[in-house]
Amino acid sequence: MDTAVWSVAAPAVGSAFLASLVEVVEAFTIVLAVGTLRGWRPAAFGTIAALGVLGGLIALFGPLLDRVPLHLLQLVIGVLLLLFGMGWLRKAVLRAAGVIPLHDEEAIFASEAAQLAGATDGSASLDWIAGLTAFKAVLLEGLEVVFIVIAVGAGHGLLWPASLGALAACVVILATGIAVHKPLAKVPENTLKFGVGVMLSAFGVFWTGEGLGIAWPGEDIALAVFAAVFLAVGLVTASGLRRPVMEVLR
Amino acid sequence: MSIVGDVFKELLGMFLTDARLTTSILLLVAIVGGLVAALPVEPFLAGGVLLFGCLAILVEAASREAKGRAHR
Repeated sequence: MDTAVWSVAAPAVGSAFLASLVEVVEAFTIVLAVGTLRGWRPAAFGTIAALGVLGGLIALFGPLLDRVPLHLLQLVIGVLLLLFGMGWLRKAVLRAAGVIPLHDEEAIFASEAAQLAGATDGSASLDWIAGLTAFKAVLLEGLEVVFIVIAVGAGHGLLWPASLGALAACVVILATGIAVHKPLAKVPENTLKFGVGVMLSAFGVFWTGEGLGIAWPGEDIALAVFAAVFLAVGLVTASGLRRPVMEVLR
Repeated sequence: MSIVGDVFKELLGMFLTDARLTTSILLLVAIVGGLVAALPVEPFLAGGVLLFGCLAILVEAASREAKGRAHR
């Protein structure tokens, strides 16, 4: 791969990997609660079924989008990436500033475990509820990953690399989770979300511009510049918001 | 447990976390599209409007939310 291709492929695979890392940590917490309280069979069944559905979505929509004219695809995906990426970045900035609380995996685990422990029907029905809980958690958390994989991969022949990036994150979290056997509360989730929000917003500006017929100077290299600018503005905004909030708290 | 309903809610939430942020981005893209299509504007300038417009929207959305929460 030449430099120009790498300049798009590396952020695309990196975004899919990091986004998947964040979402898999969240899904893993619920699957762990299901496995611990109701056994690993329904947890594994629900997880595998959801991963199958998510893989099917990528296999279905990925190649389908390759048939859409490139400029239209770039514009639509670019705008969706802007909406999604800037939403993530806004939330990450607010979390970094202490305006909204950080994601608490241990609290989510406790809440999910309490809900599962409260269910007292027959054991077959309980297995079904547990499997469904794991299925729903993996499916809902995975939808964002599917969108990112398709968005950064489609139209540029990067669907497979992006999918493999996301899959690699699943393997990393699963292996760590099996070793640790408790919610992965120490993963720097907001830092990862900040990074993914920055990358997706940069991709969003880049592709929306290309879709509108804007020829970016430096072509693909412009992506790195956009990412640096979004990162800088995000960090400065978080820092600026932190002080007034601290003053209010005083 | 309505899975289909939750899936739609999740999909909607992915792109509509903040209605004003969403509207501002769409408006900005429409303005930049209009600049490129209707006026003899340098593509580089239109790109600058898009990039710096997005940054301004981000800062405004985060500041507005922070202020709103501080007042609550």
